[in-house]
Amino acid sequence: MIAGLRFIGLRVLRGLLTIWFAVTVTFFLLRLLPGDPVLAVADPTMTEALRQKLLADFGLDQPLSVQYVGYLGQLLQGNMGVSFRQSLPVTEVLMQRLPWTLILTGAAILVTVVLGVPLGVYAATRAKGFADRAIQIGGITAQSLFVPSVGILLLYVFGVVFGWFPIGGAVDPDATGFAATLSMLHHLVLPCLSLVFIQLGSYVLAMRSSLIEVLGEDYVALAKAKGVSPRAVVWKHALRNALLPTTTLVGLQLGTLVGGAVLTETIYAYPGIGRAVYESVGQLDFPVLQGAFVLLAVAVVVANLITDIVYGLLDPRVRTS
Amino acid sequence: MNPSPAAEVATAADELTSSSRTWRAFRRNPLGMGSAVLLLALILVALAAPLIAEYPRGYGHEILSPPSAAHWFGTDDVGQDVFAQVVWGTRISMTIGLAAALLAIVIGLLVGVLAAYFRALDTLLGIVIDLFLSLPVLPLMILIAALAGPSVTTLVVVIAIFSWPEVARLVRSAAMAIVPLPYVSAAKVIGGSPWWIMRRHVLPGVAPVVAISVVLTTSRAVLSEAGLSFLGLGDPNTWSWGTILHRAQQSGSLATAWWSTLFPSLAILLLVVATTLVSVAYNDARNPRTR
Repeated sequence: MIAGLRFIGLRVLRGLLTIWFAVTVTFFLLRLLPGDPVLAVADPTMTEALRQKLLADFGLDQPLSVQYVGYLGQLLQGNMGVSFRQSLPVTEVLMQRLPWTLILTGAAILVTVVLGVPLGVYAATRAKGFADRAIQIGGITAQSLFVPSVGILLLYVFGVVFGWFPIGGAVDPDATGFAATLSMLHHLVLPCLSLVFIQLGSYVLAMRSSLIEVLGEDYVALAKAKGVSPRAVVWKHALRNALLPTTTLVGLQLGTLVGGAVLTETIYAYPGIGRAVYESVGQLDFPVLQGAFVLLAVAVVVANLITDIVYGLLDPRVRTS
Repeated sequence: MNPSPAAEVATAADELTSSSRTWRAFRRNPLGMGSAVLLLALILVALAAPLIAEYPRGYGHEILSPPSAAHWFGTDDVGQDVFAQVVWGTRISMTIGLAAALLAIVIGLLVGVLAAYFRALDTLLGIVIDLFLSLPVLPLMILIAALAGPSVTTLVVVIAIFSWPEVARLVRSAAMAIVPLPYVSAAKVIGGSPWWIMRRHVLPGVAPVVAISVVLTTSRAVLSEAGLSFLGLGDPNTWSWGTILHRAQQSGSLATAWWSTLFPSLAILLLVVATTLVSVAYNDARNPRTR
């Protein structure tokens, strides 16, 4: 029990450290890199007096340390500044977008696990066979895919040529009730599949190698010797232990997944954080870019924390080591 | 300055035969050899771009025409030849990829070896590496590239900043296995300076890991460059594979002209798959069990 609490406490501490690091890095980046925030809000031809007034308004005339403390305080209250282009608080802009990104990435993880685990098991039980070789090569290739390439290909084939799925947006604005839910799922298919494609390889390969390892253990041999059917040995005895490393993979892949979501949302005009990032790049809206990174970093850290704790609950060995 | 001449000679001889054995095993792997040849071909295309195609600029007469004898990969929405774009894109994509990877490897090697050699530094450097690896890298690269202004230099530096921790992690774990070995202790006992020991005794041991890293980091850097350029953060004065996709996305031709996106996509895929297969083949060739 004490070991468990200590484990969770350490993980929370590590998460907080990561968030502090992310926040601090962005603060200094914004102050030290050439993109002058005042130039970005206003016309570069403005007078020096106006420039000074703007600097004072944004608190940019204060010493760096004062600015830093003020910035941390504001962040703790959920204040991430004002969008240059939309004249809205960054928090508000991003919070409207966050649910869509969570739906997209959540669906992608779910589908990837549902497809990846059986494929990995299939390959592991036929290790060195033809199907296994094919799955391995497919897995390696899938890991090498460039997200926009996959997204564009799916969009072109299933959105344009066959016309089965919408090629942009997240929901039909006219639909209500159940029809709205259906429309949402309909819009989700292609972006979600693009993300599944790039992730699936890692899951299948990890599942395969961890199951092959577990299948070589003594207790599996014992189960076989007792006359348990091969199917039950794999699915009931070995799979439970082999699944554990896959849990960590969810956490490890989150950073990649978030990057993939930014690119995918751009292609499908999906109104999540990623699309907001793309739009802000074009408009040089630095507060939104900064806020998006901080928000995504927090999301990744929290999700990582959850997978770590779940892993600790599933596998007592992790807690004590 | 030689701790034990006999042992030194033995390892040197061993090193020689083992590297030639690796090469012999590598040559027997058709997938690995094919990929290596493909990579060489891509490098040749990058070097010889001016001889292969004219630099794509201005407006052409045929807009969005599908692949034909005159335009092998078709033309884009302003009538430029997609083949020429892909050829010149190879040059920029690979240059940025290689430059970023080399920079990342120098930093990663330094940090990894230092962390393994000086135990006091290890905890701190380990935490820094962990921090970098647990952040969503693409949004952070986007922020920096947007602030610094898009250019080839920006891309190289930004990608390198976020690629070295992976290299450092690999180098550190490889060096960790070498530092406690008797010959390193012997070198310490006879009074070798830390710098000399790291260079002479630790670096050769991590060389195989570095070889793999060069290949894999380059391909990851090419993917990062493509991602940033796709989002509009590429150097506006040059062509890269990501820039071609960005143009297609902006003009909307990705929904009508499959050729404007398929060929740059294939180029990226070929490069990344080839690098992965080369590194897998090299790993297999080096490992006596899979040789």
